[in-house]
Amino acid sequence: MNGFRLAAMHWKVGAMHELQYRVNFFLQLVDSAIRLATGLVAIYLVFAHIDNLAGWSRHELLAVMGIHILLSGVVRTFIEPNVFQFIYTIGEGEFDYVLARPVDSQLMVSIRNLRFWQLVDVVIGAVVIGWAVSGIVETTSWFEVVGFLVAVSCGAIILYCMWMILASAAFKWIRVDDTAQLLNGLFQAGRWPVTIYPGWLRLTLTFVVPLAFAITVPAEGLTSRLNGGTLALTVIVTGVMLLITRAAWLYGVRHYSGASA
Amino acid sequence: MPTVDVQDLQKVFKVPVRETGLRNSLRSLFKREHRMVEAVKGVSFSLEPGEIVGFLGPNGAGKTTTLKMLSGLLYPDGGTAHVLGFQPERRQAEFLRRVALIMGNRNSLQWDLPVADSLELRRAIYEVGRADFEQRKDAYVEMLDVGGLLTKPVRNLSLGERMKVEILASLLPHPQVLFLDEPTIGLDITMQKRIREFVARYAAQTGASVLLTSHYMADVTALAERVIVIHRGSILFDGDLAGLSDRFTAHKTIVVAVAGELGTLTHLGRVLEQNSFKAILEVPKEAIASVAARLLADYSVTDLSIEDPPIEDVIEQAFAIGDAQADEEEEDVRS
Repeated sequence: MNGFRLAAMHWKVGAMHELQYRVNFFLQLVDSAIRLATGLVAIYLVFAHIDNLAGWSRHELLAVMGIHILLSGVVRTFIEPNVFQFIYTIGEGEFDYVLARPVDSQLMVSIRNLRFWQLVDVVIGAVVIGWAVSGIVETTSWFEVVGFLVAVSCGAIILYCMWMILASAAFKWIRVDDTAQLLNGLFQAGRWPVTIYPGWLRLTLTFVVPLAFAITVPAEGLTSRLNGGTLALTVIVTGVMLLITRAAWLYGVRHYSGASA
Repeated sequence: MPTVDVQDLQKVFKVPVRETGLRNSLRSLFKREHRMVEAVKGVSFSLEPGEIVGFLGPNGAGKTTTLKMLSGLLYPDGGTAHVLGFQPERRQAEFLRRVALIMGNRNSLQWDLPVADSLELRRAIYEVGRADFEQRKDAYVEMLDVGGLLTKPVRNLSLGERMKVEILASLLPHPQVLFLDEPTIGLDITMQKRIREFVARYAAQTGASVLLTSHYMADVTALAERVIVIHRGSILFDGDLAGLSDRFTAHKTIVVAVAGELGTLTHLGRVLEQNSFKAILEVPKEAIASVAARLLADYSVTDLSIEDPPIEDVIEQAFAIGDAQADEEEEDVRS
């Protein structure tokens, strides 16, 4: 079975289900608006005192924030609900039924859920990015547009990998929901370009938890900072993350012991 | 060629040892102790096409663990298993499409979706052709009498209704091997019977092999001619149901009714029940013929029947013998 078709089927079901709860849409709108407003206030406060932050102008930082919102929408729509459902099902023993199906278990776990209304963040993120780009004077080249699209796709994949590696830990430790919150906290650090952080934190956010590649690199694509080397490295890092994720998953399945014997 | 072939299959679980009390909980934060539990200790058996076999054992005997290894959910720690020629632990899609694992009181359907949508999703996952799907669905819906449930969300179904739909969904891809783990648990008698009939009919029509665990002996006696008894991870018995009582009980019961008056019968066997004209006696197997002959000679018998003890009692007896054997083996290992 084609993975995309199966995903489309599940997403359709998920969307149909969520559309019944219209109030969630408004709640999500309010939630997104508050987070957008606090983000804008922070940028405004910083630039009330200085002209640039470690070489990033106001609009450039806006671009970083836009990408952060967009990717957080992707995480909350497609990734987080699936990871939480997986952690729950592995504790309850329902994961048995995922393994019993003739579809790759990692694929199955990754596509079962969709929080439709969280797409609001994706839309708001895109609007903020557009707003930021219109304020950045330099004209953007084709390389930069394609570079940005490649980088932002890699960013989404890297975030997926980070969540799935964490999810694979549930095979061994079962209760990893608290750790999932930690990952969410770390993700907040991506609101700012990693270049503004001190060296040790920058290195951590680049190579341990590769948020730099997920968020800062796409922003570099929008702000004429991206070069071919960085883009290539991003693609390689994404590939390596996918391999690590797969290995962690297969190791987990191999050692799965079920909720009850 | 057997559809299921198991040789010396083993599974060991690493279980954390938790002691009670706050102090021990704090200590376990830093130092975890584990214990190895041998859930399945080298079992071997095989199933032929079309065969329905009862898989019996007390709780924790290793039944579910064995079924999970055979359906590819758990990796065995030793031995080999072949199901339809596949190694289950490799979990090839082709293998998973051709076997089904159904566990009572577990739900594998989409909770919020109407049943029909859940079935449709199942069709997509198992790649069942549209025409086959519709034809099987119609037939099974009629056999299980679940036509009215198709538009209801799964969460609104009763336990019995859900189990019927669960079985229907699992059989739509036409599995050739069925692992049923307590399929009738918690269901009323009528519902149990319906599910039994359906499974029997499916196996007869498709030639599928079925391995069935159940605590309801009625399930086993109605469906299976052969039983495998597993106890503390080892196989205690593998053979036909009648053989089970031969092997584990040394007695049969004689029910006798007479026209006149029955005196004391204690010299003939253990009296389980008696009134003036009817008695039930427990008699050692080797003495059955002579006791029956004496009854017929000494009394004006109006009715006499010789019965095996109820299957529940036989099973209980088998587990007790298994316990004793296992304890003895442990003693041997220690000394």
